[in-house]
Amino acid sequence: MLTIIALVAFGVLTGILSGVLGVGGGIFMVPFLVLVIGLSQHAAQATSLLVVLPTAAVGSWALYRSKVGDPRMALRMGLVGMVGSVGGTALALSLPGHVLRIVFALLMVVVGVRLLRDAVRGPGV
Amino acid sequence: MSDVAASAPPAESTTRRYDVTGLIGGLLSGLLGIGGGTVMVPLLVLWTGRQQREAHAMSLGAIIPISFAAVVVYGGAGQVDLADAAALCVGSILGARTGARLLVRAPERALKGAFGVFMLVAAVSISLKG
Repeated sequence: MLTIIALVAFGVLTGILSGVLGVGGGIFMVPFLVLVIGLSQHAAQATSLLVVLPTAAVGSWALYRSKVGDPRMALRMGLVGMVGSVGGTALALSLPGHVLRIVFALLMVVVGVRLLRDAVRGPGV
Repeated sequence: MSDVAASAPPAESTTRRYDVTGLIGGLLSGLLGIGGGTVMVPLLVLWTGRQQREAHAMSLGAIIPISFAAVVVYGGAGQVDLADAAALCVGSILGARTGARLLVRAPERALKGAFGVFMLVAAVSISLKG
């Protein structure tokens, strides 16, 4: 029972972050499922993927009704992204994941710092 | 300033940038198992010149087909815990509406700051994973 309450509560938090940040939320859910609920890394990733889909759909529907963004272009990006996703999954078997992760993490730090700098200095619209 | 850009139909070269953004988002999500949003939002802001708010909304929309493909590819192989997924979904569906409402109203600077923090957290998270 306690586990179910924890999962629903964490789901609410993930859903809010997903809607406001425009991300799937797997980055929050996978560590939670592994460290708190005790799933294996693989089970956690598969489970999280299943949650991302309805969460993104509900958030997008609310944003579509509020006329925020560009649904046609978003759909186009998503369809091209499907091809990329299948290609990426195939490539994952033959590329050194660890190195890619570190390179990508460094890139994220650079972009994150830049966004924070813009948030502090930029025009407050 | 980008209000005009947002309402005008995008030029052919701009459309190509969205295609590349989606492709990279999907590729890295398949390659590293991270969400495409982490990649697509910064590209939309820094490369296609979208406002932070629009970028978040478009990224969330693009995640629907991308995660659908991932579910089809991984879903069969992975051991999904259906009970856990269902409980998380109950919460996340409620939360997503609140999050979307926040996105509609939040100031651009707050969104930039929040996404900046998110990127730093995500960077730590993916470096620990490998």
